[in-house]
Amino acid sequence: MDPLSWTGSIAFLNPLLFAALGLLAISILIWILIGAVTPEDRSITNVGGTLSLSAGPQGLAALAVRVTFLASAVILLAYIVLGLFMGTGAGIIGALAQRMLPVWIALILLFTLSISFKRRLGLYGKLFDSPIGMIGFGLVMFWVFTGIFGAFDMIITHDPLAQASGMKNKAPGTPLRGAEEGDFAWYLLGGDNLARDVFSRMVKGAWEVVKIAPLATIFAFMVGITLGLPAGYYGGKLDTFLSFLANLILAFPVILLFYLLVTPEIVATGLPQYMAVVLFAFPMVFFGVLLNARYRTQPQKNLMILAVVLVPLFLMYMCLINAAGSKIDVWPLDFFDVPGGILVVFVSVVFVNSPTVFRIVRGLTMDIKTRDYVAAAQTRGERPWYIMLWEVLPNARGPLIVDFCLRIGYTTILLGTLGFFGLGLPPESPDWGSTINEGRKLLSVYLHPALPPAIALLSLVLGLNLLADGLREESLRD
Amino acid sequence: MSKLEYSDGPILEIDRLSISFFTRLREIPAVMDFSVSVMPGEAVGLVGESGCGKSTVALGVMQDLGKNGRIVGGSIKFKGRDLGEMSVEELRDIRGNEIAMIYQEPMASLNPAMKIGKQLMEVPMIHEGVSEDEAYKRALEVVTDVRLPDPERMLNSYPHQLSGGQQQRIVIAMALMSKPALLILDEPTTALDVTVEAAVVELVKDLGKKYGTSMLFISHNLGLVLETCDRLCVMYSGEAVERGSIEDVFDEMQHPYTQALFRSIPLPGADKNARPLVSIPGNFPLPHERPKGCNFGPRCDYFEAGRCDAGDIAMADVPGNDRHATRCLKFQEIDWNAPITVGEQKEKTAPGKVVLKMDQLKKYYEVAANALFGGGARKVVKANETLSFEARESETLAIVGESGCGKSTFAKVLMGLETATDGEILLDGQNIEQTPIEARDTKTISDVQMVFQNPFDTLNPSMTVGRQITRALEIFGIGDSDAERKNRMLELLDLVKLPRAFADRMPRQLSGGQKQRVGIARAFAGGARIVVADEPVSALDVSVQAAVTDLLMEIQRNEKTTLLFISHDLSIVRYLSDRVMVMYLGHVVELGDTDQVFSPPYHPYTEALLSAVPIADTSVEKEHIVLEGDIPSAMNPPPGCPFQTRCRWKSEVPGGLCEREVPPVRHLQAGHQIKCHLGDEVLERMTPVIKIAAE
Repeated sequence: MDPLSWTGSIAFLNPLLFAALGLLAISILIWILIGAVTPEDRSITNVGGTLSLSAGPQGLAALAVRVTFLASAVILLAYIVLGLFMGTGAGIIGALAQRMLPVWIALILLFTLSISFKRRLGLYGKLFDSPIGMIGFGLVMFWVFTGIFGAFDMIITHDPLAQASGMKNKAPGTPLRGAEEGDFAWYLLGGDNLARDVFSRMVKGAWEVVKIAPLATIFAFMVGITLGLPAGYYGGKLDTFLSFLANLILAFPVILLFYLLVTPEIVATGLPQYMAVVLFAFPMVFFGVLLNARYRTQPQKNLMILAVVLVPLFLMYMCLINAAGSKIDVWPLDFFDVPGGILVVFVSVVFVNSPTVFRIVRGLTMDIKTRDYVAAAQTRGERPWYIMLWEVLPNARGPLIVDFCLRIGYTTILLGTLGFFGLGLPPESPDWGSTINEGRKLLSVYLHPALPPAIALLSLVLGLNLLADGLREESLRD
Repeated sequence: MSKLEYSDGPILEIDRLSISFFTRLREIPAVMDFSVSVMPGEAVGLVGESGCGKSTVALGVMQDLGKNGRIVGGSIKFKGRDLGEMSVEELRDIRGNEIAMIYQEPMASLNPAMKIGKQLMEVPMIHEGVSEDEAYKRALEVVTDVRLPDPERMLNSYPHQLSGGQQQRIVIAMALMSKPALLILDEPTTALDVTVEAAVVELVKDLGKKYGTSMLFISHNLGLVLETCDRLCVMYSGEAVERGSIEDVFDEMQHPYTQALFRSIPLPGADKNARPLVSIPGNFPLPHERPKGCNFGPRCDYFEAGRCDAGDIAMADVPGNDRHATRCLKFQEIDWNAPITVGEQKEKTAPGKVVLKMDQLKKYYEVAANALFGGGARKVVKANETLSFEARESETLAIVGESGCGKSTFAKVLMGLETATDGEILLDGQNIEQTPIEARDTKTISDVQMVFQNPFDTLNPSMTVGRQITRALEIFGIGDSDAERKNRMLELLDLVKLPRAFADRMPRQLSGGQKQRVGIARAFAGGARIVVADEPVSALDVSVQAAVTDLLMEIQRNEKTTLLFISHDLSIVRYLSDRVMVMYLGHVVELGDTDQVFSPPYHPYTEALLSAVPIADTSVEKEHIVLEGDIPSAMNPPPGCPFQTRCRWKSEVPGGLCEREVPPVRHLQAGHQIKCHLGDEVLERMTPVIKIAAE
């Protein structure tokens, strides 16, 4: 077997792409320069009420930017489409495009459905009016789908933990030595210093992020909301105390905190577990108070709904914090154990994220509590928690959703940092942080093992930030 | 920098102007076929309801329509030159130099980080390149002209150190700095109190005369326009519907909308039982849902199918009048002098037993001088001082006063959001003044409910209308099952005359008036017996105000509710209330039947309030009483009588008594009391403030 080149038989596209990208760069430069020197175009009203923009040099430059951008996008799309059909015939790019087939299908389905119903989908639908938001959402969903399909072993070419002899630090496209029938015959993105497939590890790493980051962020939000609402609503001493606590946590060096939490001696004292006991209780408190406030006036319905929601939550909670043989081993019905490392990662991420959420929620609450509908609720005798959770919180959702997207991004980076320092997650874990760290050691010799996870991390966080930008922009527009 | 050359002809000539805003869905025409001209030294009023495009016209003149807005037809000529053809640089020279604009919110027009003096001096320094000394001299002169006390100190202070009225004067001063040829005022007094508004309006009028400035005065208040302008232009849904001199339009209106507008505002003589207001049926059309032909057609009494909705209608001159035009096909056929078809007359309901009694109610707040550590000297704010009155069943008691007079505090204490410092509140003979809302039983809570001022704030934006009413029912323990409550909720929607389909709507899909109706339905969900209405209609458009007021009155008649109507608008108070209580800085200065309060003898403050309220009737003659200065802060009230700093009768009281002692409550007639030191013979001398000229 021959090693795969990057583009194989579609190499004819390369000069085209370079030309298009070059033209794009030049036209952007010209556009900026012209914009700085010439005045703005003024619209001209023609007889009969039609409108036209005077076609100045600025308009021409803008047109050039648009055309070259479209050309580049079309060529990039051509790589993927040709690759899909030609597979390894189109080199590494073609093979990658083909392996990602489920992701493409899912993305296309998602986008066509969303765009065709966008007028009925509220803020989510509006997102599809903003190019920035769409690009961000596309990037995020690409990694989400990659993670999900990767978890079902659909995209990966090899076992991410298996080592193949002779594949140590091999360049991308190297054929697998002694490949058997049914094995994928190449290491598409090369092998790492333990001769494992970089591509498969990157795909598996996506799952690590997709499963931890959003969940940890949700927990952080529950904690922040549950504490921020009363702090903003009541103000006074409670607010001073909670805000001081939040400032204290924010001021503590994060990395040091992580090191402390994963030190075996500290783990042995059960400290992370005790923190989990406190932090994981917040969702129960949140949902309990939320539903109780709403159905307080109908005791029977209230009891039933509370039971339906709280009993499973409580079981989950006990299973989460209870681990046989650890400090907390009191609950007989333990269905699953969370690996100690993951628990620590979870706890620390929630711990450092919630103070920021707390401050945002507190500020929003202080603003919203002055509205008349809050006064109306007060004058009809509503309890404070109903006002906080049903009158204030839903109206603070806009900024919170935006912050949620941004915060998943921070969490992703945080996870990367943790992995990079080898904290929490098991050493052979394919998460991006750990892989970057391993690749880093031979970076001057072999670039290829460290780059794919780094690019993956970059593009996911970039996507999340763009998505947040798009959401913010669209939620302000009408 | 020189001003544009100018021979005669109009200063501003807008000819068949059309402005559209382009959104992602469609083009929204905001102004269509709008023409007006402003002659030198003339003040032209632009009147209309919110959303009719009057502010868009102003922005069009400034050529500042933002990214989405565009002039799609017609021209705006300033001193004979088309503004639309000017370059960006030329426009920059004109703005602020030749055309100045004054906006609604004074605080938003001033840079909070810059001293007043610096901001004022910028204007001539940028536009005329004068030296700093010269600019300072000019600033001082203008600040003196807008009658601000201590001009030098004013120039050296930051905007937040001034009161709202003073800020607006500074904004006016800034606009006049470069002696513009045209001044555009966009609702300049809406954010101010009535007595302050009266003073600012007077100032604008005088300055207009002194500087010879032409003015374009945008307002929704017909009374204000009557007082300030020479000519006016009535707008409806993006079009000018009637244009002419004040006298022509007010006395010989030639458009059904103008007529309907005048019939829906409470003028002296209107009465809730004998001569109720006539509200305009239907709703203001959304810009993209305008009907074909006459925009006012669907709401017009004189509508003729096949003619009024046939096609575009042009402005037509009214023969015999000077520059009086109307956009109505039938104006020559309609009998404009036909008497109003009086709606059904209602029996005046007799007030029943006393439901609510306030006795010597006091509410003081303690404010720490040092917010951070809570130490230091503590100040006491006396928000309510010895408030006593009774309210009876099915009676409307109006509480009148400007901001800071303590009416909101009183409402809070009554609702139980705060507890009283001293005194009693008796609800059906039971003390509730010390019971906070958490400790009140459901019956008490549902008996005393509130309607709020701002329709855009009164409903939770993320809950359906039906859900919000149902929630009130749940809290008040009404209905045994969800189905029963749903039924009751739909009945409540019927009660406030909203279609039942609204139950599933979100508040943002409703207009201001509709939201206010939902607010009323929610207040009456528990069968409220006392409803505190905190300026329930002041944020609504004139044509909707009448309908909402009537609704409140009707529910009151049927449910025998006691209505505590908080307002600063004396016209509407006179129209609907049985008794009036006037408050100033926490004191009740006058209390009595509506007739007693509105006729002499007055408390000096009541007198000033009456004079300050603009009345849209050319036959009304008002005595001009302009109060000097602003309302003192409740943190630092003047010694003695609270009103002594602004009272024009103070000199009539011998021995400086006003500055030493708080006047005692004096009973003049049965049920009429005032808090004043003035002697009986002085009170006797008072003449009515509002006189209706003999016809």
